[in-house]
Amino acid sequence: MSNTAITPPERADITRFFPVKTVMALRRNRFLSNSKMIGALLILAPLGLLILCAPLLPLQAPLQTNLMAMMQPPSLEHPFGTDRMGRDIFSRTLEGVKISLQVGLSVAALALVVGMLLGTLAGFFGGLIDRAIMVIVDIFMAFPSLLLAIGLIAVMGTGLVPVVMAIAIADIPRFIRLQRSLVLGLRTRAYIDAARTVHASQFWLMSRHIVPNSLAPMLVAASISAANAILVEASLSFLGLGIMPPAPSLGNLIREGQLYMEQAWWISTLPGVVILLIAISFHFLSDGMRQALDPRSRK
Amino acid sequence: MLAYSLKKLLQLVVTTIGVVMLVFFAMRLIPGDAAAAMAGDTLSGAALERLRDQMGLNDPLLVQFWNFVRGLLVLDFGRTLTTNLPVSDLIRSAAPITLLIAIATIILAIAIAIPLGTVAAFMAHKGHKTLDNLITGLAMIIDLMPSFWTALVFLLIFSLTLGWFPASGPISWDDPYSIVMRLALPILVLSLSQVAILARMTRTAVLEVLSEDYVRTARAMGWSELRVLFRHALKNAALPIVTVVGLSFGNLLNGTIIVEAIFTIPGVGTVLINGINSRDYQLVQVLMIFYALLFVFINFATDILYRALDPRVKF
Repeated sequence: MSNTAITPPERADITRFFPVKTVMALRRNRFLSNSKMIGALLILAPLGLLILCAPLLPLQAPLQTNLMAMMQPPSLEHPFGTDRMGRDIFSRTLEGVKISLQVGLSVAALALVVGMLLGTLAGFFGGLIDRAIMVIVDIFMAFPSLLLAIGLIAVMGTGLVPVVMAIAIADIPRFIRLQRSLVLGLRTRAYIDAARTVHASQFWLMSRHIVPNSLAPMLVAASISAANAILVEASLSFLGLGIMPPAPSLGNLIREGQLYMEQAWWISTLPGVVILLIAISFHFLSDGMRQALDPRSRK
Repeated sequence: MLAYSLKKLLQLVVTTIGVVMLVFFAMRLIPGDAAAAMAGDTLSGAALERLRDQMGLNDPLLVQFWNFVRGLLVLDFGRTLTTNLPVSDLIRSAAPITLLIAIATIILAIAIAIPLGTVAAFMAHKGHKTLDNLITGLAMIIDLMPSFWTALVFLLIFSLTLGWFPASGPISWDDPYSIVMRLALPILVLSLSQVAILARMTRTAVLEVLSEDYVRTARAMGWSELRVLFRHALKNAALPIVTVVGLSFGNLLNGTIIVEAIFTIPGVGTVLINGINSRDYQLVQVLMIFYALLFVFINFATDILYRALDPRVKF
């Protein structure tokens, strides 16, 4: 009888009984059900929105001076008050956050790429390459990180690009070490041996097996590095060795306010609160990423 | 133990040579050269060339390097380019202040953090989550506060508003009271972030040890909770704590540069920043090496101490 012929069940029917989820869906769920990730998003999303909408808001431009409104305490018109030249601290802070995020993300990306490249080479090939890379890493790690960045600034000069380069160079040795230790762990895995037995090339092994499998912990390290870079940039700018005025960065805003702490507490303290918020959100982000990306962690 | 120490010492020597080479050659990468950078627009042509001769910049690079290394070996660091003072005199007057800040910070941080972390671990172990969460949460936030911002807030509250500590003023070794008053706030600010790092580490280490068999045995023998906690658990958790104290020393050195700038303390950090601002590369390169060697030596000492403290490590 033709009308009772057995038809294969639709895919939807299978998933009704056996809830099959793709890996990506699992990851997405882990990201979105993670309270720390949500915390980070709750700080970063409004901040990002504010930066994007800053030109549309009724704010004074970051560099616009107004001699009629100098050193004004926080008010509705100037949420963070004004400085000694009547510039609006709130719009300057937003501009500073933009620079902070640029620095944080570029340093993390740069350190991640260079660190993974050199770390993979050192760990995978061993021998002389490994020795040479690690000796150089040790030499760079002999300097406390902020000090190394300061020294590099002394050589390269101030400004956005030198600051990013200096912080990244100070951070890369740590990435090389981490990647190298990950590669040493992965190198002896059975699936690497399996790939070798079918004559996979060295490049194939590194690009298809080693790098993807070490990516998760490295991404976590990169998010910590971004938070760290934001703090280092602020420190450098605060010391007068980072982003130079009149361009506002969170660090040099605080530096400018330092002289007027007694008369105008808001110039330094409020941008500092913003740095703290950004640092906390990146910290949450890295914690959340660690939990979401680690396949062994179960909630 | 001896073999291990020798191996580490050899590593120390290699790193030291590397640091000296890196600093020396990096300083030669500066666009223009030290003479031009120092003179700015004031000199030109023959005068600049004379200055270069005077500074030895026209010698072959290797000769310059050899002179530099020879100077370091006999502790003659040359003279500053801008003020023509012996660099060694500057270091001699600045280093004790920076070291005093660093050491006092470590002592204060250990005194606060270890009991705090131990209590947090104990609370977590007993299931009293509230106090534990409070301590770990606070530690995280304090750790993430930029130290220059904390320093400014402290300056605002304790110096400018309450007037408890002077915000500026001379520091003289003949007047211990002035030293205490001037260094109290910087040390407090720096120890805050150290306490945060150390307390978290102590909590983790003690918490791990608390579920060990020997802790249960100590309890079964009827020792009081306090004795179990501090004699049995903390003692065994000491090793990772030693490591973290050593590792966070780099952080601490970074911090001294910043608090010295804020509280206008004439330490090594202030000399370094002034040196960079006045483009005094002679001074800057010696100070970079000073910091790096201090850091490397502390790491070396931590490594050795760790080995010496752990009876389980065989040689």
